[in-house]
Amino acid sequence: MLPQRMKKVVTDNPKKLATLIDLVNLPSTFREFVGRSQSSRLGCFQHVWSYIKENKLQDPNNKNIVHCDAKLKSILLGKTQVELAELPMLIKLHFPKVQK
Amino acid sequence: MVYPSRTNTQQFSSMGKLPPSLKTSKNLVQPVQSLLKNAQSSTQQSPSQSSHRHARKPPKSTTKNPPQTITPTIHRSPAITFTSSDISSAKNQFTSLTTIPKYSSILNNRFCNSVLESFTSVSLSVQDSIFLLNHMTKVNPSFTPDKSSYHILLSQSCTKPDLDLSNVEQALTLMASNGFQPDKVTTDIAIRTLCSTGHEEQAVELIKKLSQVQTTKPDTYTYNFLVKRLVKNRTLSSVSLFIDEMRKGFGLKPDLVTYTIMIDNVCNGKNLREAMRLLDVLKEEGFKPDCYLYNTIMKGYCTVSLGGEVLRVYKKMIEEEIEPDLVTYNTLIYGLAKSGKVKEGIRFLKEMAKMGYFPDVVTYTSLMNGLCRDGNALGALELLGEMESKGCSPNECTYNTLLHGLCKARLDKGVELYGVMKGNGMKLESGSYGTFLRALCRSGKVAEAYEVYDYAIESKSLTDVAAYTTLESTLKWLQKAKEQGLAV
Repeated sequence: MLPQRMKKVVTDNPKKLATLIDLVNLPSTFREFVGRSQSSRLGCFQHVWSYIKENKLQDPNNKNIVHCDAKLKSILLGKTQVELAELPMLIKLHFPKVQK
Repeated sequence: MVYPSRTNTQQFSSMGKLPPSLKTSKNLVQPVQSLLKNAQSSTQQSPSQSSHRHARKPPKSTTKNPPQTITPTIHRSPAITFTSSDISSAKNQFTSLTTIPKYSSILNNRFCNSVLESFTSVSLSVQDSIFLLNHMTKVNPSFTPDKSSYHILLSQSCTKPDLDLSNVEQALTLMASNGFQPDKVTTDIAIRTLCSTGHEEQAVELIKKLSQVQTTKPDTYTYNFLVKRLVKNRTLSSVSLFIDEMRKGFGLKPDLVTYTIMIDNVCNGKNLREAMRLLDVLKEEGFKPDCYLYNTIMKGYCTVSLGGEVLRVYKKMIEEEIEPDLVTYNTLIYGLAKSGKVKEGIRFLKEMAKMGYFPDVVTYTSLMNGLCRDGNALGALELLGEMESKGCSPNECTYNTLLHGLCKARLDKGVELYGVMKGNGMKLESGSYGTFLRALCRSGKVAEAYEVYDYAIESKSLTDVAAYTTLESTLKWLQKAKEQGLAV
């Protein structure tokens, strides 16, 4: 059985789920970062998050803050530092809304 | 017991057939699954020594009829495995086995049947299997096909039945023409095989046909098995229709177990009104509700969030002098705890002990759930200590319940508990995961929330989609709260 929440997401809004896991053509900036031309929004998020962890970009005093390196800056609106809490929103910006 | 003729239970068990000792409706689900798993493993693996022994020794309860006249050495015999459905190569394989003199002693019926069964698992048509059977009797005259041989053929035909059941009937006719009149065991094998391969439609057809003859009339176990399958994937009205048809057409009446299955099903579907109607019907038919039935009804009340009603059911049970069991108490306490009457639930601990039942992990977890709902998460934590001191070890569900409760009251304790869970590799449930994330974000621990997200995926507690959706919506909610100046 699907987990309750998952089931709810699917039944409530199948389109919402589709925008999350469907493979789409990435914009050029993202293409360089991920190294692939196609990915899902979830895949991109995972990629960025693991990139932050691997390169230890979190502020050692306040882990909620990420100091962007040049590569990360290119995809996150050129900000030098972002909050972890904004991350999903910032990534979502690269994924245009699907027309109904 | 019911079938005196059933001698080689083990053989049947690997075809999804249950020995009568296991056939009570209450524990049907589990043994069937475990036995089916067993069957799969025995057909998929090459019968090396270990798997062979494994196949011959299914779960304890099936070894009631010990294999007669068979010495353990036979288990190490070089059985034939068939990987291709090619009939001529199968024939040759068997022939070559008969030419080796040292194996001549083991080519008994039992062994030959297992060869046949092995072939049916790969063969494409029953016709091929019949050819092999004929071939086996020709080159090995000591083998005379017995009832199980034909049952093997029958069960193969049932895995891929024709729409009009012609191949199943062919197998039945073949059996009868060789002097083995199909009986209730035959019916049971056919119905169970049909159901386990998802052919409920055909099973209904077949059971109607077989019910016309007295010798193959299904017994209550077969009948209830089918009903249990039907309620799972058909509408209630069509099942009722089936039951009615069986009663009117063939005099097969539903019994208390049938009604319990039906009531259990409607309770799970939150249709308590129908459950009450069925309860009246079964009383009219002269059945007396037993402990299982009342437990089911209690569970029904719990699923529709009428936990308070369980007390009424319990009182009725005592009035009717039905002895409650551990499940009764656990359901009772669960219901009370869920409906905010945890104090009453705690009172029942003593009553349980009076009847000789001791609280188990389910009881404690229900109580903790109740305490957490009551806003007494620390009390629940104390209960964990008490439970462990009594030698009852908590499980994943216990920890998740506690985590859920602690997040709302004492996040620091919750984080501590999460550490324990992580250390033990326990999975997070989606409810407690969500609550934990929200609690962490609320107190500004976004990085910790990300760490929990990683753990949820790593431990395979949730799918990455579910884990991410929760994280995303939690963060979105946090941003909004920040904008309005509500959060840090």
